[in-house]
Amino acid sequence: MKKLLTSVAALATVASMASAEGELNIFNWGNYTNPDLIKKFEETYDVKVTVTDFDSNTTALTKIEAGGHGFDIVVPTHSYIPIYVEKGLLMKPGIPEMENYHNLAPQWVDVDWDPKREYSVPWQWGTTGVAVNTKAYSGDVNTAAIFMDPPAELVGKVNVVPEMQDVISMALMYVGGTPCTTDKTMLKAARDALVAAKPKWMSMDYGMTEKMSNGDVMASVNWNGSTFRIRNNNPDVVYGYPKEGYIVWMDNAAILNDAKNADNAKLFINFIMDPENAAMISSFARYANGITGSEAFMPDDMKTAPEIVVPADLVAAGKFTGACPKEAQDMYTAIWTELQK
Amino acid sequence: MPSSSEDLAETARVRRNWLLSTPALVLLALGAAGPLLIVAVYSFLEAGEYSGVEWRFSLDAWFQILFHRDIFDDTISLADAHLTIFWRSVKLSLLTTIATFIFGFPTAYFIATRAPKQRALWLFLITIPFWTNLLIRTFAIMEVLRNQGILNTLLMKIGLITTPIQILYTDTAVLIGMAYVYLPLMVLPMYAAIDRFDFRLVEAGYDLYASRWQVLRRVILPIVKPGAIAGSILVFVPSLGAYVTPRVLGGGKNMMIGNFIDLQFGQGRNWPLGAALSMVLLVIVGAALLAYVRVSTKENPHG
Amino acid sequence: MTDTIAVEAKSARKTYGQGTEAVTALKDVSVQISKGEFFTLLGPSGCGKTTLLRLIAGFETPTSGEIWLDGKDISADPPNKRPINTVFQSYALFPHLTVAQNIGFGLEMLGRPRKEVAETTAEMLALVRMESLAGRRTAQLSGGQQQRVALARALAPRPKVLLLDEPLSALDLKLRKEMQSELKRLQTETGITFIFVTHDQEEALTMSDRIGVMSAGNILQIGAPRDIYTSPANRFVADFIGETNFIDATVDATGATLSGGQHIDIAPQRIAGRSGKMTLALRPEQLRIVPAGHGLPATLTHSVYFGTDIHCHLALPDGTELVARMQAAADGSAAYTPGTQVGLILPPDAIQLLED
Ligand SMILES: Nc1ncnc2c1ncn2[C@@H]1O[C@H](COP(=O)(O)OP(=O)(O)OP(=O)(O)O)[C@@H](O)[C@H]1O
Ligand SMILES: [Mg+2]
Repeated sequence: MKKLLTSVAALATVASMASAEGELNIFNWGNYTNPDLIKKFEETYDVKVTVTDFDSNTTALTKIEAGGHGFDIVVPTHSYIPIYVEKGLLMKPGIPEMENYHNLAPQWVDVDWDPKREYSVPWQWGTTGVAVNTKAYSGDVNTAAIFMDPPAELVGKVNVVPEMQDVISMALMYVGGTPCTTDKTMLKAARDALVAAKPKWMSMDYGMTEKMSNGDVMASVNWNGSTFRIRNNNPDVVYGYPKEGYIVWMDNAAILNDAKNADNAKLFINFIMDPENAAMISSFARYANGITGSEAFMPDDMKTAPEIVVPADLVAAGKFTGACPKEAQDMYTAIWTELQK
Repeated sequence: MPSSSEDLAETARVRRNWLLSTPALVLLALGAAGPLLIVAVYSFLEAGEYSGVEWRFSLDAWFQILFHRDIFDDTISLADAHLTIFWRSVKLSLLTTIATFIFGFPTAYFIATRAPKQRALWLFLITIPFWTNLLIRTFAIMEVLRNQGILNTLLMKIGLITTPIQILYTDTAVLIGMAYVYLPLMVLPMYAAIDRFDFRLVEAGYDLYASRWQVLRRVILPIVKPGAIAGSILVFVPSLGAYVTPRVLGGGKNMMIGNFIDLQFGQGRNWPLGAALSMVLLVIVGAALLAYVRVSTKENPHG
Repeated sequence: MTDTIAVEAKSARKTYGQGTEAVTALKDVSVQISKGEFFTLLGPSGCGKTTLLRLIAGFETPTSGEIWLDGKDISADPPNKRPINTVFQSYALFPHLTVAQNIGFGLEMLGRPRKEVAETTAEMLALVRMESLAGRRTAQLSGGQQQRVALARALAPRPKVLLLDEPLSALDLKLRKEMQSELKRLQTETGITFIFVTHDQEEALTMSDRIGVMSAGNILQIGAPRDIYTSPANRFVADFIGETNFIDATVDATGATLSGGQHIDIAPQRIAGRSGKMTLALRPEQLRIVPAGHGLPATLTHSVYFGTDIHCHLALPDGTELVARMQAAADGSAAYTPGTQVGLILPPDAIQLLED
């Protein structure tokens, strides 16, 4: 989901001391891993860490399934964890027995995609909502109508990020359905609403951090972390949590079954559950992390950021969406094709 | 009519040429045919649940290209969305080819009629954009076209318009971008053709009562046609598969074939359909090339 | 008189380039070419023949002066508006068209009906005897065949004037002779005014009604071939057309005195009242060699055998070199051996007087 934090993803290889005791190979989203965190880990445990980037869950999964990749740790989005588990790609490293396990925030312990946290620990979590430039529109922003039925002020100025999963799920919730549904009346309603809204959109593009900062785009379906950064550049931009339903997601670190450096990987999993280290992750990519006590180590601007602290009355509207089953997925693709034809 | 002994000599020559080409053919087979074969095979498999393929034979992908099983009432109809996407790609590619020709021909003509020393410089300037990454060039075009961009700012400064014109994220922007990106591919073969052109034929044309327009249409264009066709193929083929330019400048609202194939391999998780679509793209390109061969051999039956 | 003039150049000047690079290819040339005439421009390379032709065709505009056609100033008309066609030195046939299409091109551009184009093309193919090759591409023709197509293509629109820029120079000698008579036949048959450019003086003499001899951007002399040959206007013309002996002399009413003091007689009509330092010109075949003691004393330096002729190279006492052409004896032997003292007879009515 974070593939567009920057336009050009760089292969971030973090060098370290030549005399490293061991190695650790991490497979993570591009521009998502704080180099300082890696350095600290390397110095603490005398391990040489290599970070390799991927740009989408499907490419990551495909590469790992193909084998021979040499990675120890992968950081998929929550919806992909069950797929990894089903395909037998992840190991159970005994996370509940780990020293820092108690730091896990209670709401992130018993999660749908990994009920007892047997396989994975939180990396970062965020939401997909809407970003709006209040110069253009000063009404209610906590609604998916921003893009599903744009107010007159925003017609022709709205962008929708081309994330099929998120957009169609939000459209479904907007028309009263649930994500990944196979209920055809709901799917039809969502499709019709999307097709009707599309002429009022300006684009379906990534790169909103730049385009909303400089005022090319006035509103967009967007991620909270990106919107945080936009607001730092352009204080007129606010983040909205659609009350009809918005998307919550979490990226999770897990150890691969065929990891060659399983011991170092376990050290790393424990390492990132430490509040101070988790704060390092967040301060780099600007998303929350799910470790209790990490707030104390975070930059001040993150502690109160409206993009990160979800208003109490809107928490319930946030939905985790799993990876849809094939049947639903094919309908999503059909709607998407219809939308972009 | 060639005599039969000439025929025999010709056959022997052809056989020897094939033999000499063996290493190149083997490389071609491995480098080009191999991956193609994989794509072809994948198009006949079932889509995996979350990505990749299941190794079970299926014609679903090919069926899906042309027909659309309505997700709501299961009726089967022509897949008009797919046809729309294909048609848009072909249309934009054709327009791009025409645009590059309209701008490329005078450019090539201009260069070919400079003093020999200057020509090298002009050709060099034409190829400069090639040194830059495609993505960067496309973003540069975006800087020009966007609402607060160079073009709109300029037009507003000189008072031609009061509000910015929305060019970015339209098919026009895609057309401008692709024409810009592929222009050199038209100019270079056109230049080669015009450079070989004997300009005394222009005088012969005027001498025989042809107007400027007639000289262009009846003398220059037919003779530089092979260059124009080569340039058109070079522009049309990559335009058809273009991915970055329509994505960035078109604003992603409307897909072209390249984006559609990407959707199947990525978010759509339907590799067989992606593979089948790639094969269809290949067939279109093949047809274009075949048409080229047809036209060029008809032009020069003894060549 | 004017209604018999087809083309006229009036003080036509052409300067290429600017400033220090400027080349004046044509210096105020005036010439009148009559209707139905076979007019030849003859001169050495670079003298401006092609330039004059291009001014008439309209590919260049004169720097000053005018070009007239049929009593009208056409200097400002573009080439496609002038009823003048050109046979280019390179032929410039259209490679993408067949022989027949090449020939029909001009008529088609003139918007003539399809039927007329087809008929005239067939007629032209017959005229240049190329009927059997009508469907061929021009690249598959021999030089002579290409030449014929170029000719037919230029004649097909029935131009008032046909310009031919060294059309035969690319052909071998035998073919050239053939084409020379062919050209002459075509010109007689069609009655079209031909302006023909060559630097081959023999070609010019055999084919032309009139010749204009050019040098360094000027026309030095215009006249019928015989007049040009027998009465060249100056030393350049005399030298360029055929071989000529030149002798420096001082002329008075009775004849000329050479630098060695010898006196020779010249016919009064040749002297025409002139006197002073002049050049005597005499064709080699007009010199007669006689035994020593008669005529001008000279030494035979060497002789060159030419089959039917022998060219004898002679030296006068003052060093002037002359050539005399004699018939060879039946056995091919020379009458005189090198080193022999002989006498030279200069026929008084054959001597030309040229002012330098
Ligand atoms: N386009 C031009 N630019 C500059 N100089 C030129 C140009 N065309 C001809 N000249 C010059 O003008 C002079 C006359 O050229 P022109 O071609 O008329 O000679 P020509 O008599 O046809 O010679 P040739 O027998 O070699 O064809 C030459 O000195 C030539 O170099
Ligand atoms: Mg010439």
